[in-house]
Amino acid sequence: MKLPLLVLLATAAPPEGSWRAVLDLAGGELRFALTLEGSGRQLRGRLCNAGICQSLTQVRREGDSLVLEMGEYAASITASLHGDSLTGFYRNVGRKGPRTIPFRASRGVWEAQAGTPALLGRWDAWFLSGFDQSPRVLEFRDGPRGLEGTVISNSGDYGQFWGEAVGDSFAIGHFDGSYVYLLAGRLAGDTLRGTFHAGLRSQTAFTATRSTGRPHLTPPTELTRADTSAPLSFGFPDLDGNQIRSTDPRFRGKVVLLDIFGTWCPTCHDAAPTLVQLYRDYHARGLEVVGVAFEVTGDSARDAPLVRRYRDKFSIPFPLLLGGVSDAEAVSAALPQLDGFTAFPTTIFLGRDGKVRRIQAGFYGPATGPGHEGLVRELRRAVEGLLHE
Amino acid sequence: MLFTLLVPLAQRLAAQIPPDLERERAEFAEWLRSAPVSPFAIVALQPIGPGISIGYEPSDIPLPIPIRGFAREERGLVAVEVDGRRLALPRERIVDFEGFRLVASGPPGRAAIAVYGGVRGFEPPSYYPYNDSLAMVVALEPPERRGVFLTLGPEGAETQATEAGFVRVRTGAIDSRLRVYRLGGPDDEEAELLIFFRDGSSGHGSYPAGRFVVLSPGGTGQYRLDLNRARNPFCAYNSVYPCPAPWPGNSIESRIKAGETYRPRGAR
Repeated sequence: MKLPLLVLLATAAPPEGSWRAVLDLAGGELRFALTLEGSGRQLRGRLCNAGICQSLTQVRREGDSLVLEMGEYAASITASLHGDSLTGFYRNVGRKGPRTIPFRASRGVWEAQAGTPALLGRWDAWFLSGFDQSPRVLEFRDGPRGLEGTVISNSGDYGQFWGEAVGDSFAIGHFDGSYVYLLAGRLAGDTLRGTFHAGLRSQTAFTATRSTGRPHLTPPTELTRADTSAPLSFGFPDLDGNQIRSTDPRFRGKVVLLDIFGTWCPTCHDAAPTLVQLYRDYHARGLEVVGVAFEVTGDSARDAPLVRRYRDKFSIPFPLLLGGVSDAEAVSAALPQLDGFTAFPTTIFLGRDGKVRRIQAGFYGPATGPGHEGLVRELRRAVEGLLHE
Repeated sequence: MLFTLLVPLAQRLAAQIPPDLERERAEFAEWLRSAPVSPFAIVALQPIGPGISIGYEPSDIPLPIPIRGFAREERGLVAVEVDGRRLALPRERIVDFEGFRLVASGPPGRAAIAVYGGVRGFEPPSYYPYNDSLAMVVALEPPERRGVFLTLGPEGAETQATEAGFVRVRTGAIDSRLRVYRLGGPDDEEAELLIFFRDGSSGHGSYPAGRFVVLSPGGTGQYRLDLNRARNPFCAYNSVYPCPAPWPGNSIESRIKAGETYRPRGAR
């Protein structure tokens, strides 16, 4: 009995290479790219949405199966490898039961498919649920890998979406190991109608019309408010356990950006390079930047290594502090002068007098294209304005 | 050998269980058997109110451990203080506590705390034979009630909800109109549409308090309702959980012999 099994394993194709991967949601296919590199125990992997990638925390073989771990999200994909196909399931575990979504992949690279010109650009959308509707902005553009886009809410963007358009219909998806999103719809006249899929079977209908340029979302500077009658007070330990306070001499008379982030938050990863660039460009003129991490455990012994890795990944030259657990209520408790904290990241701009001058909730990442470029210009103007005061 | 392979296959073919449902049931059974937050592992679930003690006796939640903590909710944030040390409990996260696991849940101001130990008394769920006449496509009629309200979810935790509408079902020769809730906050992208219903089999082979079933969107305004997917609330597995009250009007007169069955614990 053992001989055929050995032969089967010996002839199984190695998993390295590029894969066209799909999550089969109840309402459609969410496609993404999977890349496996290395061999044996040195297998590594990445999930990519149009060139924006997340590394897998572990890739291993178990018999004729592959296990792709996404440790940050307590999630994994387990799939059987048969020749040029992988079939299995994406799973993560919650308190309400298992969350399982069928997964499949075949060898190769997704073919780039451009969107119809009538679809490209910015759309003001309403997500509809019963009597309620909430605003979103949808963006579509042609990228080097085909149709790309994103969904933006009041608290920031949902990351890079990627997919295809056939005639007037489109389907673009985003999968980063945790968030499972698919935006599918059709252009009918001057209106987009479709469905936003989240997870295996949650679906929300939407309609959208082309943006007029008037604000459709609540401006990200109006989501969170603060007591501006006194300097903002903060105090958190750094990665070596030293307490850093707003009253420390290094902040006196300086413009300070206090960035509330989490290493688990993809949008925070999008924002980090911009903060590093602002620090490099303006530190000599009196800008300080401080990152306060709110992490999954809130246990500094477990959080500090994650924050160090984040610091090294982005070559962050400014101090990173440990704020506690990643919970809106935890942020509100740690910074009681804030009111209405809603989004990671949130960047608080302090003038040279230490008082809050601007609060930027969320961040428009590179997936938003012109939105990202516009925001970076706006942040630079805000910093320069405060430095001139 | 051949016989043992063929019999389950024959049973499966006869029952015509869709493969995805068969897999879903197997995964759920495995989760109940092994998950650190399985309903068979819960030892306590209490609202925090003005604060509760957890640990060695006397405590509001007595546990066989050498420490005692005091859990309270302040500005929506749940934390346990033990000997001057503060252990934060972000909602829906598992936090280790002297070999037990704590999970906070509930909307701000109404938090509850669940304590989990080892899985005890696990029994796999059992189901009625698959009945394909009880898998149907339905339309969602408009809701009657506006706004967000609080309700008890299948897992015994208070959650935000909105009324999504109504569906009409015909079982046997009887028509019923069932209320559908969307469980989750307004910005919860993965909120699901659920129906909590009682039927003629409640207390007669099915869980007396009623069962939940998911309404799956099927495109073009249609929804799939498969009563074979009806499941018991967690209070059926463990009396630690509070049982949700049946949703107004959600009663099916005929006996829905589909989905999960129930036998009182100790009678299994």
